[in-house]
Amino acid sequence: MNIHEYQAKKILSRYGVNIPKGGVAYTPEEAKRVASKVSARGPWMLKAQVQSGARKKGYFLEKEAGKRGGIRLVKLKKEITKQAEQMLGSTLVTVQTGPKGKPVSRLYVEAYNKVERIFYAGIAVDRESATLTLLVAPIKQEEITSLIINSPHKILRLPLSLNGRTSPSQIKEILSFLKLPPQSAKSLKSLIRGMHKVFIEYDATMVEINPVGLLPSGDIIALDAKISFDDNALYRHPDIRKLQDDYETSERELKAMRSKFSYSEFDGSIGCIVNGDGIALAAMDMLRKKGIGTACFLNVKGGVDKDKIASGIKIILTNPRVEGVLINILGGFLRCNLIAEGIILAASEVGLNVPLVVRFEGTNKDEAKDILQKSKFPITLAETMEDAINLLVQAVEESD
Amino acid sequence: MSILVNKNTKVLCQGITGTQATFHIRRSLEYGTNVVGGITPGKGGELHLGLPVFNTVKDAVAETGATASVMYVPAVHVKSAIKEAAEAELELVVCIADSVPLRDMMEIKSILRGSKTKLIGPNTPGIITPGQARLGIFPENIHKPGRIGVVSRSSTLTYEAVLETARAGEGQSTVIGLGDDMLIGIDFVDVLEHFHKDKSTKAIVLIGQLGGTFEETVANYYKNLPKRKPVIAFVAGDAIPYGHKMGYAGDIITHGHITAQDKKDAFAEAGMIVVDNINDIHLRLKELE
Repeated sequence: MNIHEYQAKKILSRYGVNIPKGGVAYTPEEAKRVASKVSARGPWMLKAQVQSGARKKGYFLEKEAGKRGGIRLVKLKKEITKQAEQMLGSTLVTVQTGPKGKPVSRLYVEAYNKVERIFYAGIAVDRESATLTLLVAPIKQEEITSLIINSPHKILRLPLSLNGRTSPSQIKEILSFLKLPPQSAKSLKSLIRGMHKVFIEYDATMVEINPVGLLPSGDIIALDAKISFDDNALYRHPDIRKLQDDYETSERELKAMRSKFSYSEFDGSIGCIVNGDGIALAAMDMLRKKGIGTACFLNVKGGVDKDKIASGIKIILTNPRVEGVLINILGGFLRCNLIAEGIILAASEVGLNVPLVVRFEGTNKDEAKDILQKSKFPITLAETMEDAINLLVQAVEESD
Repeated sequence: MSILVNKNTKVLCQGITGTQATFHIRRSLEYGTNVVGGITPGKGGELHLGLPVFNTVKDAVAETGATASVMYVPAVHVKSAIKEAAEAELELVVCIADSVPLRDMMEIKSILRGSKTKLIGPNTPGIITPGQARLGIFPENIHKPGRIGVVSRSSTLTYEAVLETARAGEGQSTVIGLGDDMLIGIDFVDVLEHFHKDKSTKAIVLIGQLGGTFEETVANYYKNLPKRKPVIAFVAGDAIPYGHKMGYAGDIITHGHITAQDKKDAFAEAGMIVVDNINDIHLRLKELE
């Protein structure tokens, strides 16, 4: 689960991380009020609160929102209302949001801080060593990914402890790697320790400050902040769960989430229902080789509730992009007959207007096939995944 | 022959009186697995499925001489269950649960680093040596004894790979699902090492997955082996658009953007036989020898 920048900054500042003065605003009037509160004369930063990186380089779909991106420097107070009006209610598109963009429902209004230089700081888990890793690097623009790929030697990587205590020698190492002045030591320590503590105490999967700024005083300040939390550990953090913002999530995704299924949308025409991400990806690869794209896939995982499975299948059947449906289930934990019953239930409720090809393998597959064959719906059964895809492609072409 | 488990392996079940455990242990017993007892705290001394129940893993090991355990306990209990298994010095632990918190897994990995216990999983179908032992949730009917070793990070593609061996007219020596989660117990290198030592394994089917660098590491290991068995390898994910949210965002900052094609290139360069379509595996298997 992700949260907004202003929420992440609030949490980090409670753990000692230095952040600019700021406040959230849902209306242009509120933006003006907050601006006066955080800085008497400005300048100010107006920041669209959508869960995406690269907001500054993004653009708004609506003409009325103007040509500037999702992060705007405003020098005159009278400009605040106008800029906020443009941004609020508009749709921001970035390299991470996809072409549909994300709606902006609130802004974060901050006092602008002039900094001498910036650097990147992030904590993530390295899978292979199964350790927490801190990454810091001096940067010019906010392009940490290209640095990772092209100049890995410019990044300092340090393993962090699982008890949330950063060692003093590590702080020293970071200070000298970033060539920071000695008077920065204290606030650097607060930054790194704060990030580390938040990661551990809140079961984060990633804590990222991109960029961190060095103020003329030598103090260090978090100019942006991103925290991702471990969905599997949210039960330990009811306060974090409350921050979940459904505003950006599509209705179909929300429905899938409520049933604990995973659901992804793409720009093709085939809907896939599977019981594992691996099988979904393999099916997408096969479809692509046939020149056909995937519209969406739903992973019902180890689902054992027929009604939930039916509600999941309905999500796919009612997606207007979908011109054909592939159901590919390899039952182990999951029993194929439950899926078959779910298919019949869903089709009875919302109808079946597109070709549907089903392939069952594993636990209770014969029983499952029997259920489908006895139903009144025109469902095609296939033996292998490859057969299923060939049959579906053929059926979709014929129905055109 | 087989790796890690066979018909003589004495197996315990942690949390044996649970619903899923009862369902699957009954099936594993019918399959012939040498399950010798189970653990449910507070139910020590009872019998379940005809097996003795113990309060602790230590008691169970002392009484039965078991060396392996399989657990169907929910995610919240996984850390303490694995810790207990490691303290009792079991050689192998299989953890089926999904949704284990990442921090718990980091702590588990740090506990296991200093112990003799090997973990398979979590979020895995487990391990099966056809005709001998089933520790997990595998559908038994698709497996038969044979000479192909199967190892996969993707649970569902494990089954797909097994079906491919059957289409080639082959059976399996041992089948292992490493687990779909971000952090897992044993990895490809551990398993390949075992398969190379096992005389009954003639060839290996290896299914990688997007995320992390487990594939790059095993490619490097395989490349430098003095004597190698044929490995047929596959990774799904060519059709995933760049930047699509899939798996763990932290992978990109720890290792950069690694695509399915990058992983397949690493396999090919190491001398593995790479397929672009998982349903081509049986064709490549037939071409061996």
